[in-house]
Amino acid sequence: MSTAVPAMLRKKRKKTGPLPYILLLPTMFFLILFTFYPFINCIRLTFYATDSIGRPGAFVGLRIWKKVLTSDEFIKSLKVTFRYGGLIGIGTFSLAMILSFISTKNLKGSKVYQTMFALPMALATAPIAAIGTYIFSRYGLFNAIFGTTNIWLAGNTLFGTVVGIVIWANCGSSFIYLLVGFRNVSEELIECADLDGANIFTKFFKIYLPIASPQVFFVIFLNILTAFKSFAMIRILVGTDDSPLAVLIVKLYNYAFVRQRYETGCVYALILSLVIFLVSRIQFLVEKKVVFYQ
Amino acid sequence: MSKQRKKLTHRQKERLAVGIKIFLGILFMSPIFIGLVFSFVPDDELYELPTIQTIIDNFTFYNYAKVLRTLPILSYIKTSLVMCAIVIVVQITVTSLSAYAFAFFNFRFKNLLFTLVLIAMMIPGQVVTITNFLTIRALKLLNTYLGLTIVSFTAGRSLFMFRQSYLSLPREMKEAATVDGCSELRYLFQFAIPLSLPSIASISIMIFIGEFNAYLWPLLVSREPRMYTIQIGMAQMIGSDAIPNYGSMMAVAMISLVIPIIAFIIGEDYLIAGMTRGAVKG
Repeated sequence: MSTAVPAMLRKKRKKTGPLPYILLLPTMFFLILFTFYPFINCIRLTFYATDSIGRPGAFVGLRIWKKVLTSDEFIKSLKVTFRYGGLIGIGTFSLAMILSFISTKNLKGSKVYQTMFALPMALATAPIAAIGTYIFSRYGLFNAIFGTTNIWLAGNTLFGTVVGIVIWANCGSSFIYLLVGFRNVSEELIECADLDGANIFTKFFKIYLPIASPQVFFVIFLNILTAFKSFAMIRILVGTDDSPLAVLIVKLYNYAFVRQRYETGCVYALILSLVIFLVSRIQFLVEKKVVFYQ
Repeated sequence: MSKQRKKLTHRQKERLAVGIKIFLGILFMSPIFIGLVFSFVPDDELYELPTIQTIIDNFTFYNYAKVLRTLPILSYIKTSLVMCAIVIVVQITVTSLSAYAFAFFNFRFKNLLFTLVLIAMMIPGQVVTITNFLTIRALKLLNTYLGLTIVSFTAGRSLFMFRQSYLSLPREMKEAATVDGCSELRYLFQFAIPLSLPSIASISIMIFIGEFNAYLWPLLVSREPRMYTIQIGMAQMIGSDAIPNYGSMMAVAMISLVIPIIAFIIGEDYLIAGMTRGAVKG
């Protein structure tokens, strides 16, 4: 410790020359060009009426914001976004929790089923959607197994079916995070609990969940935020026009890239980033309050 | 004697548990197996549920032959792979150099620049999609590899992982090297980067799976079929026909799944290391 302080002081005084700036130049260049500039430009465009190739025309002030914020489709979109994100957050967490809880013990051969449970995270949306459209079609496997004759990817069942497919597709990474959390529980602790005659539910709720609480909250919020940002499954399975699953990112896409109303698309983009920001803040606060650190 | 028997039953119990869990794993992955099985069944048989006997009787590679003949699948895959390779090489080069500046130098504006990186990480890529698309179109980069990849040339996450990796190197090593007259750049290329190979592997596999499976950005940038990535090509098939050809669809899905599944199985440990390192506090 005593040698570390003077070393650091010496370092501060030492001239570093231009090297660190040169090393940082490419990162800063691309961040400015493809993150900061477009973000500011996105804000700017919402105050103009843009033409069909996205050039700002007449200044319209807050008129587009007002139009969007007071529209029914926006309110509907916001509600659907939270319903979709919430269901996927809770659903993915629940499924991943069961899978990781049964995989907690490190046994010979456990790598095999771990890989199987984690595998969907490597799979892209398009092939999953393709398999999903077949399984849930009128003559698909789902109807055959359960003796129903429903077209699942339509009407009332559309929302639930899409959520179900997404939960399966997203579960892999949550499984990994929760597995890490559950494996933080020491064997001795479980042995003590066994000696005291704790049953599996007591052990789960009083030992595993509290110890894995950082991962639990991380996974729930991760899935909510991923659902807010993910677009492919809805676009492929449902489409973006007047869709019952018109979440914010679908609106963003539909306005900007289908109808060429870039300024309205930008309003939706900014609302989406605000929603993501607020939910991340909530995550931060909840973690601070509730999470139990060892 | 009795002790030995007890041990044996315990072991058998464990084996049984593993067996059950592997069965659950297969059940969990069943959508993929379903896709695989039905990719060998002719389209016509799939308008009603085929019996196992029908599947066996009609087993055919016809779907694969058909989609490979009628669709430029190999070109789609090539585009995807080239895109992944460009992003991996450029992003790793850019972020490994930049992270070195944050890890080993004290310079003016260091905190400011670091805060900028943190702020950039908080802006979701989806939010800047519209304006980035306008930039790419203005630069006439639609339907080019540069247009597909340039927005991913740097990433806060990779930069952080490199920084973490550099900071975990023993300080004494750096001091000894400096005393022996090793320049900063030489230390970077001869020690810091080679010792960060596990991080490079983690970052590469994460970029690969992310880029190979990317959808929104390629959908916007690749407007011509010759520049379609496999995801875009695949997605085009779904819902495009009034009467869907499920067999061909499954065949394309299976072709598109092979590469990421192999990548996942090879790189699983690195992927998990990359995901869990620093992602969760505590």
